[in-house]
Amino acid sequence: MRSRGFGELRLGAASAPLWFVGGRVGACPVCTLGLLQAGETEAGGTGSPTRVGCFVGALGAVWGPQPPGATVRCPSQTQSLTPRPSMQVMLVGDSGVGKTCLLVRFKDGAFLAGSFISTVGIDFRNKVLTVDGVKVKLQIWDTAGQERFRSVTHAYYRDAHALLLLYDVTNKASFDNIQAWLTEIHEYAQQDVVLMLLGNKVDSTQDRVVKREDGEKLAKEYGVPFMETSAKSGLNVELAFTAIAKELKHRSMKLPNEPRFKLHDYVKKEVRGSGCCRS
Amino acid sequence: MESREDGRDWAYRVDPYGFERPEDFDYASYEAFFSRYLVVLTRRAIKWSKLLKGNNGIQKSLKVKRYIRKGIPNEHRALIWMIVSGAQANMEQNPGYYHRLLEGEKNDKLVEAIKTDMNRTFPDNVKFRKTADPCLQHVLYNVLVAYGHHNKAVGYCQGMNFIAGYLILITKNEEESFWLLDALIGRILPDYYSPVMLGLKTDQEVLGELVKMKVPAVAELMERHGVMWTLVVSRWFICLFIDILPVETVLRIWDCLFYEGSKIIFRVALTLIKQHQAFILEATNFPDICDKFKQITKGTFVTECHSFMQKIFTDPGTLSMATINKLRETCREKLLSQG
Repeated sequence: MRSRGFGELRLGAASAPLWFVGGRVGACPVCTLGLLQAGETEAGGTGSPTRVGCFVGALGAVWGPQPPGATVRCPSQTQSLTPRPSMQVMLVGDSGVGKTCLLVRFKDGAFLAGSFISTVGIDFRNKVLTVDGVKVKLQIWDTAGQERFRSVTHAYYRDAHALLLLYDVTNKASFDNIQAWLTEIHEYAQQDVVLMLLGNKVDSTQDRVVKREDGEKLAKEYGVPFMETSAKSGLNVELAFTAIAKELKHRSMKLPNEPRFKLHDYVKKEVRGSGCCRS
Repeated sequence: MESREDGRDWAYRVDPYGFERPEDFDYASYEAFFSRYLVVLTRRAIKWSKLLKGNNGIQKSLKVKRYIRKGIPNEHRALIWMIVSGAQANMEQNPGYYHRLLEGEKNDKLVEAIKTDMNRTFPDNVKFRKTADPCLQHVLYNVLVAYGHHNKAVGYCQGMNFIAGYLILITKNEEESFWLLDALIGRILPDYYSPVMLGLKTDQEVLGELVKMKVPAVAELMERHGVMWTLVVSRWFICLFIDILPVETVLRIWDCLFYEGSKIIFRVALTLIKQHQAFILEATNFPDICDKFKQITKGTFVTECHSFMQKIFTDPGTLSMATINKLRETCREKLLSQG
């Protein structure tokens, strides 16, 4: 539905300086996902690139030497991989579990206690992640957690490629509501939506009321990857989004002989504990 | 000397309502705008003083409507909002009611929901900080708790915290804020905040229909990329443009909202969309469209509140209440039939 036509890139005339001259690397202006890399410049030449290529996933430089003014096609487009221009990731969970904080920590690497406002309706932030050398644009939707907003937000599920479902480990009610959220998600989200359960605020060891095992157990019951996070300390925040991005990238651009990406295994391997046992 | 410098610096960083200006605030263009706007403000202040000195009081009339569209001076804002919205009359007819609500028994769930939002309402406003003296958080808490027990069908809905917050900043009075909140939620706005939020969903669809009529290219773009209106405008409706548009612009919109009713929201939305039509149409995909709708609420077009308010009454063209009511009816029926 949202796939794009075959992308074409017209190389500038020899005299026009191109931004990717001289071995610099940038995002492919055609597919916006791959890396565009200029190769060698002809010795004593004018500085116009002789080799450019879009490196999407396992694909290498494809275009080879090109005369100025030539029109080339981005390989990601010609190979009908049709990556989406952006992936929509939606944050859901009860009011006050820390959805906005998690997003801001991921987006800006910051956590300023007492600087967050309650989210009303829906808000967006964009972030580009590089996954295995490929740029993946995430558009992250931050939603209102209050129950009455669910009747508004469930309309958005349809367009979400991934969902991060949060609860607050210091708030039992937010954990108890996870089942209701999952029911809601199964009803309204796409069947193949990427879903992950996050227990947030693990930095508050004193106030913790939901044990990690409880979260793990629930996640296992529903077959959902799980990790504990802290927007305050940054624990596993990057990982949660990276794991989602990896899964989405693999799904959207999988090559025939590439092994399947296993989100569950990846999360298990990479996840870090909250450090409660070390102290 | 040094402390005076600090004082000046502080006064600049915080606007007259107590909101901290963002680090990237464009002081130069704001000052340029404000020096021009000051002339308008002065002229309006003189006109309003004369009007208020007259013996007729403030009654609904073409003259008052015109005056309100040109902006109520801040010193009269609370009073005029109270009168034209009917809040004043309600408050006078129900003496002591507000305080009885506060003294009455409380619904724990409601109180809990309100408490969750206390630290999350205007953390960027120095008057709402826990450390502020007086701290407006207590006032806000009282107004919301009282309202939740007064209008049990609505209770508390996120968004009301911001609206009540603005009312408190303007009236500087708890009880008046309560009655103004009641005027907005109970009479002026359709049921935006009740648990099913049918009024909100309806008005988002109504806006979609109006865009189809008045800015068809944008409606077509939304349709082509499957972007639901609720995704990009829900906050406009629920927060009545708080945190979307600059404070001064929001207050000017509210001036008209209290006098003319919820139709104003559509005028503002349509003006934003129509003015930026070409810009929105540059979007080539779903996320782009979402971004554009965020960007059209920023910049000089919306900061220049006086010319912006003139535009909302000309740019979208005629917009009769009859049209809106009819659209509301059909959209509501459609939503109800969809379940």
